[in-house]
Amino acid sequence: MLSGWNWVACGFCLLLNICFLEASGGLVQSCGHIIPESPVLALGSNFTALCILNESCLDFGNIYASQIIWKIKNRVVPKEQYREINRTVSSVTFNDTSSLATPLTCNILADGQIEQNIYGITITVGLPPEKPKNLSCVVHQVSQLTYPMICTWNPGRHTFLDTQYRLKYRWARESFPDCVPTDVNNSCTIPDVHFFVNLEIWVEAANALGKAESDPLVLDPIDIVKPLSPHNLSVSSGILPTVLKLSWENRISDPVMKLKFNIRYRITGDTNWMEVPSEDTASPRTSFSVQGLRPYTEYVFSIRCMKEDGVGYWSDWSEEKTGITTEDEPSKGPSLWRIIDASHSPAFWTVHLMWKALKPYEANGVILQYELTVRDKSSLSSPLEKYNVTSTNLTLQLPNSTYEVTVIARNRVGGSPPSVLLIPASNSKAPVKNLRTLPKYDKLWVGWTAPNSYVLKYVIEWCLVSSTSDCIIEWQTALGDVQGIDLKGIKPFKCYLITVYPLYADGQGSGQSVKAYLKQDRPSKGPTVQTKKVGKAEAVLTWNHLTVDEQNGFIRNYTILYKTIDGNETVVTVDPSKTEYTLSSLTSDTLYTVRMMASTDNGSRSGPDFTFTTQKFGKGEIEAIVVPVCLAFLLIVLLAVLFCFNKRDLIKKHIWPIVPDPSKSNIAQWSPQVPAKHNFSSKDQMYPEGSFTDVSVVEIEADDKKSFSEQDLKPFDLLKKEKSTSEGHSSGIGGSSCMSSPRQSVSDSDDGETTQNTSSTVQYSTVVLNGYRDQTPVQVFSRSESTQPLLDSEERSEDHAGGGDSTAERQQYFRQNGGQDETNTDRLCFERTKQITHANEGDLVGFVQLQISGQSSQPLGLGMEKNTQEAALSNVLQTSTEGQTVRPEIVEENPLSVDEMPKSYLPQTVRQGGYMPQ
Amino acid sequence: GDSWGIFTFLCAALCNLPALPALNCSEELGAGQSIQQTYDLTRYLEHQLRTLAGTYLNYLGPPFNEPDFNPPRLARAERVPSATVDLDLWRGLTDNARLAANYRAYSRLLCYLRVLDGQVGTAELRHRLAHFCASLQGLVLSIGGVMSSLGYPLPAGPPAPSGAPPASNDFLKKMDDFWLLKELQTWLWRSAKDFNRLKKRVPPAVVTLRLEARGF
Repeated sequence: MLSGWNWVACGFCLLLNICFLEASGGLVQSCGHIIPESPVLALGSNFTALCILNESCLDFGNIYASQIIWKIKNRVVPKEQYREINRTVSSVTFNDTSSLATPLTCNILADGQIEQNIYGITITVGLPPEKPKNLSCVVHQVSQLTYPMICTWNPGRHTFLDTQYRLKYRWARESFPDCVPTDVNNSCTIPDVHFFVNLEIWVEAANALGKAESDPLVLDPIDIVKPLSPHNLSVSSGILPTVLKLSWENRISDPVMKLKFNIRYRITGDTNWMEVPSEDTASPRTSFSVQGLRPYTEYVFSIRCMKEDGVGYWSDWSEEKTGITTEDEPSKGPSLWRIIDASHSPAFWTVHLMWKALKPYEANGVILQYELTVRDKSSLSSPLEKYNVTSTNLTLQLPNSTYEVTVIARNRVGGSPPSVLLIPASNSKAPVKNLRTLPKYDKLWVGWTAPNSYVLKYVIEWCLVSSTSDCIIEWQTALGDVQGIDLKGIKPFKCYLITVYPLYADGQGSGQSVKAYLKQDRPSKGPTVQTKKVGKAEAVLTWNHLTVDEQNGFIRNYTILYKTIDGNETVVTVDPSKTEYTLSSLTSDTLYTVRMMASTDNGSRSGPDFTFTTQKFGKGEIEAIVVPVCLAFLLIVLLAVLFCFNKRDLIKKHIWPIVPDPSKSNIAQWSPQVPAKHNFSSKDQMYPEGSFTDVSVVEIEADDKKSFSEQDLKPFDLLKKEKSTSEGHSSGIGGSSCMSSPRQSVSDSDDGETTQNTSSTVQYSTVVLNGYRDQTPVQVFSRSESTQPLLDSEERSEDHAGGGDSTAERQQYFRQNGGQDETNTDRLCFERTKQITHANEGDLVGFVQLQISGQSSQPLGLGMEKNTQEAALSNVLQTSTEGQTVRPEIVEENPLSVDEMPKSYLPQTVRQGGYMPQ
Repeated sequence: GDSWGIFTFLCAALCNLPALPALNCSEELGAGQSIQQTYDLTRYLEHQLRTLAGTYLNYLGPPFNEPDFNPPRLARAERVPSATVDLDLWRGLTDNARLAANYRAYSRLLCYLRVLDGQVGTAELRHRLAHFCASLQGLVLSIGGVMSSLGYPLPAGPPAPSGAPPASNDFLKKMDDFWLLKELQTWLWRSAKDFNRLKKRVPPAVVTLRLEARGF
């Protein structure tokens, strides 16, 4: 909108101007103007402008000063700043020019509405220049005859205006053209200056707002010269090996300026410069001899100069030039040492002589060769051995003795002083004491306490201890008055073996060694632990020491960590010298995990885990259990065997129950005679104290039957059947027969009676059998053909042979029966069975009688025995008849053992009746 | 003369106390340093002229550049102030007279030299000549300064070069140049002696003392 208005206003203005043109008769004429025209104003000052209108315009367009509007750019200046001086002049006042901008225009509000521009001015605001400060000038020599002077100054604050700086200079009564700086406002170069005439120099700064001059500088340009450095520097070596001669050219001539110099130099490769004392070079010259240099050393030189009186500036350093001093004799002999190898043969040494190449500053030239002499000190007459070598070692085979070795290093100029090493036959002197090490940054300090006697020097040997490579010895010497040196080139985390030997004038001390690390680390691996033996509550662990390369430091201790799967870890610290440890108090039959940690001063590392299981039983525990158990078992078995053996009869009875002899049953029924019973009871009466009523007596006989062969058993079974039919009847008889047996032994002596009985029984038995059973005809036949006598004899022999064994058993049973005489037990029992047969009835006796008669065909020995038995039997029969009165009592008793009674018959039958097995 | 010397000595001492370059107060310093500086300048001009003369004579060509070339002094060359005054007579003059004679001679020589400057062909030589002229101008000023510092009135301004016609032919012109350089050399040589002597007579300022102690 506003700009639109402006266009409208301009258009109107143009119309007005055309009108004016017409009015003023063809001349282009402005309607007014501003005073001042394009002013330059100082920042912060006040400013008043006047707009003066032309009279003609007043008439034409009724324009008056009161209608004037002042504008800065497009901004209307507030009316308070206007002042109407008269009809045609209006003024505007600004208290601070910093609020001004360009252009400032004077406008008219024509017809109260349309703004018309009358005139405009540009305003420049800035600052007057400050006084330039810190003016200083330097004359730079750029060539032999060209000396431009550069002056610099501080121009001060920015003026915002175009400001001219001029460097003015003049002689007392003569001025020179100003030096006008180009592109800059703080320096200017005067191309040519003249020396030895004082010059007044100052700077003038000027702009539209003012002018300022610096303080003048009055000087002779010769006093501010920075000369060119001397050139064509050359270095030449002189006759002396410690002197180098420098020569150069100055680029400023003596009448212009007298010079003084600085010379600096350094050894090639070194960075530190040394300087020739400035007093020595304080006068004009073109050459100088630098002294006190090292022989055969390359030096770098450089030189600079300035005015001799020190007024002005130093030149730059000249280009560097190198020179080498000439050679000189080596200043000292090489350090000498040896390694003696006496391993091949004790009488001969292999001596490795070795020496250090001289340092460049000691060698003073190129070492051409080393001259060694070896002299056997033990014998004065021995010749001096000489060797010339170019290497730094020599190996000799020498007999074991004391030697003096010297070495001389030789260069082109001459030989060094000799180095002497005494190799004694033995290192018998005092060693150093208290050898110790201390790491110092990248060096390892080795210290010791000197022995009491005077030491010429010390030799320090060291080598890297490694399990993979040999210990390569390095060494160095130290003077006798030091008690510690720094070893360089020591690697961290490596074990070094350091040995110190003191060398005396007349011998050599034995070496003292120490192991050291420059820096320790934790081991590179942990020890691998294993069990050597695992018990119930303890385990023996073993491990190998870490190799030197793995240790990375001194192993201070081993730590064993072990735990069960769910238990807490237990830690045990073990001395580093051990390779075995016994863990105790472990839980039996438990899985343990154990690992081991090796620790240095700087940390520790664990080895792999190892698991083991403790045993269920401790050592000897199984034995302790098994042996007693076995013993107990054995004992039980033994006891059982004994028991069985003892009770074999009883057992036999259980397994092979006695089958009653059926034939006997018949007899029982068949013989109802009381007399027989009477006999029995009378017997009982006769021996009441014996009370042989016990059933067990019968059982023993049954037991004995058990031991018979299978052959015997068959007929036995047969008898059993017979017995079953006659069981009930035979009971009473069995019981009585048993009772009669003990008495028999007592009445053995009565032979006459038995014979009588026998004859009678034979008759009976034959009759009974036939009558009782259907089978009897068979039995009858068998009896007549019986081989009984043979069986009987066999049986007896068995009894006799086994008599010893069965004695004990029998005794027991006899004991039950009242402790009868034991000596005759065998026979007693035998007799008793017979008696029973007798005792059953008189018929039985007869039956036995039959047997006996049959036995007559037996061999003589047996027959003899048989006879005696028969005699005994007859006795029994006799006695039984006598004891008939007791009989009723026994009968009463018998029913109690009815079951057993028949059994008692069986053995009897078997034994006596050898005819049974047909 | 003595009281002046003491005064200048004191002045120099005062000026040197604050270790400022003594040049800042050269006016006050007066004779001592001015004489030394003028002497140094004379030596410097001698040195410059030696090289300049060699170059210029070569520029003139043979026979002027021959070492043993010693032509007779032409009558027309009399306009160049001659230094060929008897040495005893010269020494017999007062300082003032000698300084004034120097002042006049160099002013005159400078005028001829400037004419010479405009004719030289090579830029290098012209530059060196211009530099020499400027330095010689400085010498004139320095002598004036010494005279004023010693309290002598400056001689009247140099008389305008006599309107002697320029040499008609080239050889004669070269001869003039040759003699100009020759006279300059003589003057400078003698002036150096003058100032050295004067320097010794005038009580030395601090700077002078220092320079002398260093074997000047």
